[in-house]
Amino acid sequence: MSAQPMHIHPYERNWMVFSAVMLVLFATAVSVAAFGMGIQVPAPEQRVDPRIVATDPNSPWSNPGLREVSPGKYDAYILAHAIPVWEYLPKEITVPAGSSVSFYVTSSDVQHGFKIQDTNANFMVIPGQVSKLTIKFNKPGTYNYICTEYCGSGHGIMYGAIIVTP
Amino acid sequence: MKQYQLSTGEKKFIGSHLLVAILALSVGSLFGPLQAFEHAGWDIYPYIKPLIKSYYQGLTVHGVLNALVWTTFFIMGFLTFNVMFGLKRPLKNPTLNKVGFWLMVVGVVAAAIPILANQATVLFTFYPPLKANWAFYLGLTLVVVGSWVEGWGLFMTYFAWRKENPKELTPFIAFASLVTALLWQICTIGVATEILTMLLPWSLGLIAGVDPQLARTYFWFTGHPLVYFWILPAYISWYAMLPKQAGNGKMFSDSLARLSFWIFLVLSTPLGFHHQYVDPGIPPVWKFIHSMLTFSVFFPSMMTAFTVIASLEHAGRKNGGKGTFAWIGKLNWSDPSVAAQLLAGILFFFGGIGGLANASYNVNLVLHNTAFIPGHFHLTVATAVTLSFMGISYWLLPYLTGKKLWMPKLAVAQAWIWFVGMIIFSNAMHVLGLLGAPRRVPLGLAPYVPPEWNSRLFQVGVGGAILFVSGACYLTVMLMTALSKETVKEEVEVPVAESMQDLALTPVWLDRWAPWIYGALALIVLVYGPVLFDLIKNIALTSPGFRVW
Amino acid sequence: MAKKEHENNDEFRPNGTIAILVIFVITTILIWGTIYMILISRGSTI
Repeated sequence: MSAQPMHIHPYERNWMVFSAVMLVLFATAVSVAAFGMGIQVPAPEQRVDPRIVATDPNSPWSNPGLREVSPGKYDAYILAHAIPVWEYLPKEITVPAGSSVSFYVTSSDVQHGFKIQDTNANFMVIPGQVSKLTIKFNKPGTYNYICTEYCGSGHGIMYGAIIVTP
Repeated sequence: MKQYQLSTGEKKFIGSHLLVAILALSVGSLFGPLQAFEHAGWDIYPYIKPLIKSYYQGLTVHGVLNALVWTTFFIMGFLTFNVMFGLKRPLKNPTLNKVGFWLMVVGVVAAAIPILANQATVLFTFYPPLKANWAFYLGLTLVVVGSWVEGWGLFMTYFAWRKENPKELTPFIAFASLVTALLWQICTIGVATEILTMLLPWSLGLIAGVDPQLARTYFWFTGHPLVYFWILPAYISWYAMLPKQAGNGKMFSDSLARLSFWIFLVLSTPLGFHHQYVDPGIPPVWKFIHSMLTFSVFFPSMMTAFTVIASLEHAGRKNGGKGTFAWIGKLNWSDPSVAAQLLAGILFFFGGIGGLANASYNVNLVLHNTAFIPGHFHLTVATAVTLSFMGISYWLLPYLTGKKLWMPKLAVAQAWIWFVGMIIFSNAMHVLGLLGAPRRVPLGLAPYVPPEWNSRLFQVGVGGAILFVSGACYLTVMLMTALSKETVKEEVEVPVAESMQDLALTPVWLDRWAPWIYGALALIVLVYGPVLFDLIKNIALTSPGFRVW
Repeated sequence: MAKKEHENNDEFRPNGTIAILVIFVITTILIWGTIYMILISRGSTI
């Protein structure tokens, strides 16, 4: 063993510097998307009691569905459950093109996922927690939302749809 | 010069690890193609219903046996071998290691019973409030505790060696194995806490509910370093054994290899939130910090890529290889151990790229829980790790048993078949994920599959079939070698590459343990402490258990 | 034994290694960049 500083081959030194620069560039690109373009991951929204979240009349998920908060802006309260069957409530949402929809999703039983195809909405649905992201729908069409976390035998049939009308 | 020899008893002990590992892989791999076939719409489960009730029970068997049992047993055996062979001394307290091994075996049996009885169809992530039979959680606990005890036996051996050799540099394979064992001790605190404070008492009816968000956080505290526990033993072989096997190459940089292991020890735990980017209960600022740490832990893997390839290039040039790339052809491709590990390394490039994408904070929104994820980890744990371990066993089994490897040509073919099958399977899974296909779904039966997924789903099935053929070849070679009457003439040589650098130049601070351990623990407290404190302070044990399979 | 007092790896020039790693980096940037562009094209989430 030596008390001297570590010897590094010049090729390897260059490679290490280069690797570090590349990783910094990736990190920068990610930061620009997150903080410059508002492409963010979910943040803690609200805690709920999964045992009553679907039945308590004060809980928005006792009456899941779409609420218009201002022209073109909606809140969608969506309940995911495996019992009695694997489904989202509501199963279908219709909004006009150009709408901005905030999704508030929770589960009354096991963990689920929530991914709206062809959008950046893709998050975990965890009992006791509320997941929220906001998506703007510009192009008319049908966007399926599908379950992306194993939630029992019916995981593969669990989905719903957002219909964006022209 | 004659190599250090393990006693027959010691070889048997390592061999028993290998036996359990390969048994687990055999059973677990039976279900791999069934998952793949479901994607292609070939539904075989109805025909095996008396035995296995569902796709998800099969998937649980596949995940638990292949990702947890095969890996853990192989790794503990390999690390134990490396410590004894590297330090040239027997275990300090072999009984302790035996106790650890048997705890692991009892644990596997305890977990296997409820899995086979369809009482634990919770997949290998066992996210609550899916509630398995208590024996499943107890079994997992015993596996972890057993691996701890084996780890303690290795550390005691190191301390004894250090006392006998106070001034000597720890030989690389022993050093790297000890770091890997230590990493495992630190990171498993998460899953141990999850099981002991929540899942086990809950499954026994002692508490009424669990907090699923907190449970996930404990789980992923262990879940990401787990992948380093898997890959580091392969790195040890790539760094220090493969260059020797490939053409008597030398290890390019001993110091940087050691440095990269220390960085892995410090950085592989404090970044678990990169599996939880889209969890609702964790503040984005902490997720962002973990993402930056994840980028940092990519760095030692880049260093590893350089050192390993340069050492291989050294081997190729020694074999007469010329040109920029032509030396690659001069490596000993006809040695199945070399072929398997080189092919594993090639696919690991793509595993690394996918991993970097997964880990890139908001980029995860495109990929999270899509088919991209199993596509990714079949390149890492199921190829870089598994195919390398298969390669290692091609010399390790003859070494342990004194039997000649049965049909080395078939073994070489096995590695290539795996390589081809995995390219087809994994490429299709990655593309499906980018198209939006979810993971953990028998997509052949899902109601929302658009027609453009179909050709890829078919490729998943084809890839699965090819991989199954390769797995069968591997088991045949192992079995026939073990049963063979043909013994090796001389002792099988353990491949250990010399260092290209004079080891006297390796800086002394690379052989000091305390600063790195303190650094690792401090970083964990710093980036996990505040979030865990908050989650525990606001714990809500409001989720009763569900059995929905 | 070694003629010089300390042997090092300086004399070995792993040019092939650099070439392989350059290919790796280009592939990484292409694949990662493609996924990143998918993310960007789908827009804001807040």
